[in-house]
Amino acid sequence: MISRVADHCFWFGRYIERAEATARMLAASLSLSLDAELPSAQVWRPVVVVSGEESGFASRIAGGDDDHAAWGDGELVQRFMVWDEDSGVSLVRSIQGMRWNARSIREVLSHEAWEAVNELHLWMRGDLAPASYGQHREAFYQHVRRATQLALGLLRSTMLHDEPLDFVWLGVLLERVNQTARMLDVHHHAFTQMSRRHEVVETALWLSLLRALSGSEAYLKRAAGRISSEGVARFLVSEPAFPRSIAYCVRSAYSRLCDIRPPESHDLPGGIALERLRVLDTWVGARRTESLAGTAVHDVVTHVVDEVHEICETIGRELLGSTPPA
Amino acid sequence: MTQSQSQSQSQGPVTGLFDGYPALAGTYDEMFEGGAAPRAPFARVAALLAKLPPEELARSQALAETALLHQGVTFSVYGDSRGTEKIFPFCLLPRLIASADHRRLERGLQQRLRALGMFLDDVYGEQRILAAGVVPPEMVLGAAGYRPTLRGIKPPGGVRIHISGVDLIRDPEGTWRVLEDNLRTPSGVSYVVENRLISKRLFPRLFDAARVHRVDHYPTRLAETLRSVSPLDGGGSGSGGECNAVVLTPGPYNSAYFEHSFLARTMGLELVQAQDLFVDGDKVYCRTTRGPRRIDVIYRRTDEAFLDPEVFRPDSVLGVPGLMRAYANGNVALANAPGNGVADDKAVYPFVPDMIEFYLGEQPLLDQVPTYVCIFDDDRKYVLDHLDEMVVKAVDEAGGYGMLMGPQSTVDERNEFRRRIIAEPRRYIAQHRVELSSCPTWIAERGAVEPRRVDLRPYVLTSREGPWVLPGGLTRVALKRGSYVVNSSQGGGSKDTWVMKDA
Repeated sequence: MISRVADHCFWFGRYIERAEATARMLAASLSLSLDAELPSAQVWRPVVVVSGEESGFASRIAGGDDDHAAWGDGELVQRFMVWDEDSGVSLVRSIQGMRWNARSIREVLSHEAWEAVNELHLWMRGDLAPASYGQHREAFYQHVRRATQLALGLLRSTMLHDEPLDFVWLGVLLERVNQTARMLDVHHHAFTQMSRRHEVVETALWLSLLRALSGSEAYLKRAAGRISSEGVARFLVSEPAFPRSIAYCVRSAYSRLCDIRPPESHDLPGGIALERLRVLDTWVGARRTESLAGTAVHDVVTHVVDEVHEICETIGRELLGSTPPA
Repeated sequence: MTQSQSQSQSQGPVTGLFDGYPALAGTYDEMFEGGAAPRAPFARVAALLAKLPPEELARSQALAETALLHQGVTFSVYGDSRGTEKIFPFCLLPRLIASADHRRLERGLQQRLRALGMFLDDVYGEQRILAAGVVPPEMVLGAAGYRPTLRGIKPPGGVRIHISGVDLIRDPEGTWRVLEDNLRTPSGVSYVVENRLISKRLFPRLFDAARVHRVDHYPTRLAETLRSVSPLDGGGSGSGGECNAVVLTPGPYNSAYFEHSFLARTMGLELVQAQDLFVDGDKVYCRTTRGPRRIDVIYRRTDEAFLDPEVFRPDSVLGVPGLMRAYANGNVALANAPGNGVADDKAVYPFVPDMIEFYLGEQPLLDQVPTYVCIFDDDRKYVLDHLDEMVVKAVDEAGGYGMLMGPQSTVDERNEFRRRIIAEPRRYIAQHRVELSSCPTWIAERGAVEPRRVDLRPYVLTSREGPWVLPGGLTRVALKRGSYVVNSSQGGGSKDTWVMKDA
């Protein structure tokens, strides 16, 4: 497979997952803001922090880090996270990136998957998306989620399950590890900052986090209805059967990369990334039996995010032509 | 306008959609023969089309455009920083070509392509035609598309014009005339295939009843053509081994990117950019996730000036350094071959009929537009005396640039061209303006069918076995009333072209 094409596949996967995750997170925060009885900055600030665009928001949108009114202004945060053309993670930019990469590999994607991607792009660029955003915010986020899920589903159901799809999926999974890890970290941090612990509020926050990751039902099944800080953290880090847990995504990403570059094929490029991903998988597996109380969560997710970053860099170098292999 | 004339025709007038169709005076109408009587081979299809209610046509038209947009069947608009893409406007009413007409066209195109191929072999070989004085040497050797460095290089498989898109028009008598031979990187064939998909989807019963030659096998034939010239397997043995042909595109920002990706997808080949390729030991390789892979056929949709910076444009960062060395050593086939521009040069065009006689000993089967070559004294004198009637073209420019439209020109413009022609006669040719044929076209803003001028670009594939003509082609239509310009950039659109099967 051509390295440049693999690169587009990988980034197509990352952008489509990022678009979905952003829509999901904004919808969950919107719902939380309605009844959580929390200071609104505590609802909306994490949204910006998770996306990694804290400094951009502080300098361009808010009047600095202490502008509590801006950080707590749900409309302002949503507009930034949806429409800001200069932010690297806004929905509009993720959809742009998804479509640009898809168009660059149009001949690789199936007709149906491409059409789903292109329709989302045209919807976002046209009049319908702003109208929906203005009139029915919840429906707007739902549209983005469904369109991205449709595209991901069509990729799996209409494309050859070979290298190009492996690269798309590798991108999806590594992006998903990041999303889960960062959201867990930010929410966890918020609790440590709360002046008074309040069980009802905490429960609402954890449920909101789980909903943002489509994990509330799955968690409740596993935990028999008991919601605890450590329980949620353990579920999101280690639950092997939940498709958005860190353990599941890392394990799946490793398995995709094994298909792309089999462990025994020592003469093929990709060995360093593969080994690093294998080590991360083992490491995450070992966290299952360890306590996740206190700052342990932060330490775990920090390690995961750093490692994923390194692994992506290495994949870029070894397989995607960041430095040509020949 | 001329409806009353139809009464005496043997084919009865059709009623419905074409009621009151105002045939365009002075043009050959592709469907109607004076008034409301369709031409005999089209009587049945015209009657079926006439039954379409205008409201349904309007609805179908809107559906077709949405489908094209959603599928991304678009071209990029240059100079638009937001990367705006537009659809190529499409008229649902097909352009019909009778089967006997198409057979003549087919033979004429095959003959022309054979002669042009032999001309290129000769120009980059012995140059017999120049020695025989059939084509003035200064016309050939002075052409911008002539590449002296390619002389003596034989292309793998012996083919140079794998893909051509010859532009044809039809004069008021209905005679086909070649306007231009596109022998470098002709585009548009993806619209032929896509337009057909839409016709079939929107008019399934009508299309079925019309009995039309299919066009969807073009990509398969193109892939066979490419495989047939592979330097690796001796050509077209169909060994079923790994296909090492690729499509080379300048990238997503190119206006024809959709077509590049369409062709790669429908042929099952990989779409590459120059940066994906490199040359080692005079062989071409592709950078893959599993290391280098040998490439032996490249369907290149990049301009040849950007193929290889070592040869053509040292200032260019585009291209594949060493590609021409690999080509010269017979290790990679390039489709089309570099250097073809000398054969579709506007100043060489007037001599194509002479080439046909010289190489094939045959009379040309296709007419072309009579052309005055300004380097000849008599021709130049005639042109300078009749500047206000002529269309003057600079031979090395395209897309309507460097042109004088005599009948619409000002005195200053004519004086300017007079000066230029005298200074550099080699650079100019002139023709009388030819009236294009017209075709019934749905004009949405009027909610009616009106005649609009059209041309035709048939596609010819040449493999080791010789030329093959796709029974169809791109009909471009000047959608603006009174316009002669069919280019998409200037209000042109396209039509599905239906070549009828024998009745």
